[in-house]
Amino acid sequence: MKCSFCDNELDLDMLREQACGACIGGCRKIHCPYCGQENQLVPEYLDRLLKRKQPKE
Amino acid sequence: MTASASAEKKIILVGNPNVGKSVVFNTLTGTYTTVSNYPGTSVEVSRGHCTLGGQRYQVLDTPGMYSLLSITEEERVARRILLEEDPHIVLHVIDARNLERMLPMTLQLIEAGLPVVLLVNILDEAERLGMRVDIPLLAEKLGIPVVGAAVGRKRGIAGLRRTLRDYRPEHPSFAYANDLERDIKRVTGLMTGSYILDRKAMALLFLQRDDEIVERVRHREEENFRQVEAAANEIVFDRRVDLHLRISLERKRICKAVLDGVVKTDSGRKPVFGERLSTLMMNPLTGIPLLLLVLYFGLYKFVGGFGAGTIVDFLEGRLFEEHLNPWAITLAERYVPWYWLRELVVGEYGLFTLGVRYAVAIVLPIVGTFFLAFAAIEDSGYFPRLAMLVDRIFKKIGLNGRAVIPMVLGFGCDTMATVVTRTLETTRERIIATLLLSLAIPCSAQLGVIFGLLSGVEGALAVWIVCMVLVFLLVGMLAAKVLPGERPMFYMELPPMRLPQVNNVLVKTLTRMQWYFFEIFPLFMIASVLLWAGKMTGLLQRLIDLLGPVMGSLGLPREASAAFILGFFRRDFGAAGLYDLQTDGILDPVQLTVAAVTLTLFVPCIAQFLIMQKERGWTVSLGIFLLVTALAFSVGWSLNRILLATGLLA
Repeated sequence: MKCSFCDNELDLDMLREQACGACIGGCRKIHCPYCGQENQLVPEYLDRLLKRKQPKE
Repeated sequence: MTASASAEKKIILVGNPNVGKSVVFNTLTGTYTTVSNYPGTSVEVSRGHCTLGGQRYQVLDTPGMYSLLSITEEERVARRILLEEDPHIVLHVIDARNLERMLPMTLQLIEAGLPVVLLVNILDEAERLGMRVDIPLLAEKLGIPVVGAAVGRKRGIAGLRRTLRDYRPEHPSFAYANDLERDIKRVTGLMTGSYILDRKAMALLFLQRDDEIVERVRHREEENFRQVEAAANEIVFDRRVDLHLRISLERKRICKAVLDGVVKTDSGRKPVFGERLSTLMMNPLTGIPLLLLVLYFGLYKFVGGFGAGTIVDFLEGRLFEEHLNPWAITLAERYVPWYWLRELVVGEYGLFTLGVRYAVAIVLPIVGTFFLAFAAIEDSGYFPRLAMLVDRIFKKIGLNGRAVIPMVLGFGCDTMATVVTRTLETTRERIIATLLLSLAIPCSAQLGVIFGLLSGVEGALAVWIVCMVLVFLLVGMLAAKVLPGERPMFYMELPPMRLPQVNNVLVKTLTRMQWYFFEIFPLFMIASVLLWAGKMTGLLQRLIDLLGPVMGSLGLPREASAAFILGFFRRDFGAAGLYDLQTDGILDPVQLTVAAVTLTLFVPCIAQFLIMQKERGWTVSLGIFLLVTALAFSVGWSLNRILLATGLLA
């Protein structure tokens, strides 16, 4: 996944494990460690829909 | 050394070997210089003097160094001079042809809290290679004075002397990636001793196992040293694979971002449309009109006109008011015998008639169209350019371009934007940004409803915009004056401009709308229940009575109290309340404008207040709460007087 603000590649596995400050997590958002942008995690069903629609290479 | 000599201000020259340091030294000091071994070493150091603006300075030329993490004896001596000679100015000399390689040391010097002036030397050779260095932009991005020169060719010397003479210490700051910052803070948090270099720089050198620094920390920390060492050992163990590499890559990344747009190479290739557009977006002369176009078509026409106008008219005005609400009320009257339950579901503040109607028929279309416009703009790569454009204005109010992210997010939802303020580098920035978010940044829903409301009254929207901009700038500048602190540095890599991808835009919009339904919709329900409980117990009426005189002083009817109480639960809830008052014909144009301005500036919604408390603590959040409340009503009161006195909007 790329950050929607600065375009840096985000390591989702690592970032998912880190909660923000005192937050308990579970907000379905990922903060970009480079610029701070709050990126929404795409729900799986939308992700599947997106992948299905991508042209075959 | 005599007493007068020891009181002399010192200018220390540092830099890589072969960047023209000695030429700069000779140019500044003339011929009367001394060369001697630095005490206890075999390394030679040159000392001389110069007079700038009537002030005499001692100038030291240090041996070449590549980094503060010293390897050779020359580098150790150069660093010891920085640590022991108490410089008034550290003049870092770099080669214009190798900026990317030499700038990491500039970052280290800034990070160490040293009073740095950067001299970009050998500009003539760089220009011969087709490179153009934008010195003012580099100075702006780094937050320190930068001078361009070719000292060997006597170019830029007057500028250098002027800069050294007028130097005032600046303390810009920058941040590494969050995980690295967290580790650094873990060590600095344990350090209690006093150091010449900033603790962050000391912690990084300590983590990199610099023997001399380890000894200095041991000496300064005394009993506390064991704790610092234990924390550092854990971090070093966790990062045993890549600590040095990670720090180096982070600095390179920051340097690359700092240099983005600073160095242009004339390769003879014509820029493509995207690059030309990107340049136009960042230039204040063309960028501001382009921003106004984006705001006009993206927000005013699409969100305000289409979302808050066409869709809300259909959903709220026709679907709910003409069909769903009457149907639900009839159903409840027929099958629900208990008054309290009927009130809870379909009453004045009922879960269906108020909560669902506001959330689904008024706020959702506005938020939905906003998310769609936002996703399209975001996917085009416009926001980083906007950050560059407003960086200069933001710096005046104590923020940097990075604060664009929470500010722009604030137009989506102030609560999540308040969380994002933690990514700002200084505490001062975080407080100013939180204050401005609470005060003058309306969330998407509120913005849409207000745009929809005010666009129907000639001139009202212009008055509202002028009020918001003035309050934003004035409060921001005052806050920056009141709150002392570091000046933030701004660096950001610019992703390429591109046409928004339909798939990306749809996925982002739908993801955000899902978030809205899961996290915000329940709040509407809770607010409805609380209001219903307030109505049933009479507390709400007492609160409205209490606010009555305040509304009167603003020239507003008593009914407007309810919109402000709703606004405390969520600002868009309050804005929807205003929408109801407007459609019922209770507010005239002046009252509507005053109510909209006051409500926009009014206290943050309950969720934002809770987040603000969590992020900034009780003292700051309560201070902001009180300040924002006082300012909102003061501005509303003044605006009412001005509009009545001038006859504007009458």
